[in-house]
Amino acid sequence: MMELMAKIAFVVYALLILGGGCIAVGAHSLVRAMVGLISSLLGVAGMYMLMAAPFMAFMQILIYVGAVCVLIFFAIMLTQADAHGVESGSRRPGKAALSALTFITPTFVIGFVLVKFQPASINLPVEVPLIKIGQGLLEDYPVAFELISVVLLAAMAGAVLLAFEKKGRKV
Amino acid sequence: MSPLLMYQLVALMLLAIGLYGIVWRKSLVGMLISVELMLNGAGLSIVAATQLTEAGSAVGQIAALFVMGLAAAEATLVLAIIVVVAKRFKSAETDAVSRLKG
Repeated sequence: MMELMAKIAFVVYALLILGGGCIAVGAHSLVRAMVGLISSLLGVAGMYMLMAAPFMAFMQILIYVGAVCVLIFFAIMLTQADAHGVESGSRRPGKAALSALTFITPTFVIGFVLVKFQPASINLPVEVPLIKIGQGLLEDYPVAFELISVVLLAAMAGAVLLAFEKKGRKV
Repeated sequence: MSPLLMYQLVALMLLAIGLYGIVWRKSLVGMLISVELMLNGAGLSIVAATQLTEAGSAVGQIAALFVMGLAAAEATLVLAIIVVVAKRFKSAETDAVSRLKG
């Protein structure tokens, strides 16, 4: 019974992810694309829950839906991207074929490798206690942990430096 | 089909959709959205690879957290770049900024 429920939940989340992804890359309006992206991110969060990683699901919603999506909404607002203008215009001739190729090639190459060399998987994942993750971050990988804070600081400082450019000064 | 394979296939589809979008989109914001999709596929794949095998699960979750942190940093920087491009070129289309100044 629980297994059936898990399968149904998996299918629902997969549909949410794939449908949201298709809207995110296909919609003419960028705001609609953002809504697609958000539904896709929520589907990924649901998959984390299914894999018994609720902390990851929480972080996914907090960081991606809460922070990154708001950032992208700001980008849409600040560039004043009009609802139908940019994306619905004509494209260069070979672009559709090129995009289809970039979709098909990894799907078939990586998909073939995945199906051919299936690793053994366990059916019932166990939840890692949060204390293990904290210990891993601060005891096993402290350098990576500090480095990512430096990267975030540098990114923020760089963003401020770029965006608050003085008027009239050309680089 | 093993559970791991199903999760990996979903992550693969996210990667492929993101690649498609980054080629197809004409505006920089649309390309940023596609990059976020791809990074999500990476996170899903990493977590699935450690949660559903015998490998240490904490390592996978830490790695996925790092991916999320890098995605946040990247989104911040790209937002700043898009704002600067939109100010200078009066549009955020890739065709408008495709020419290098020689």
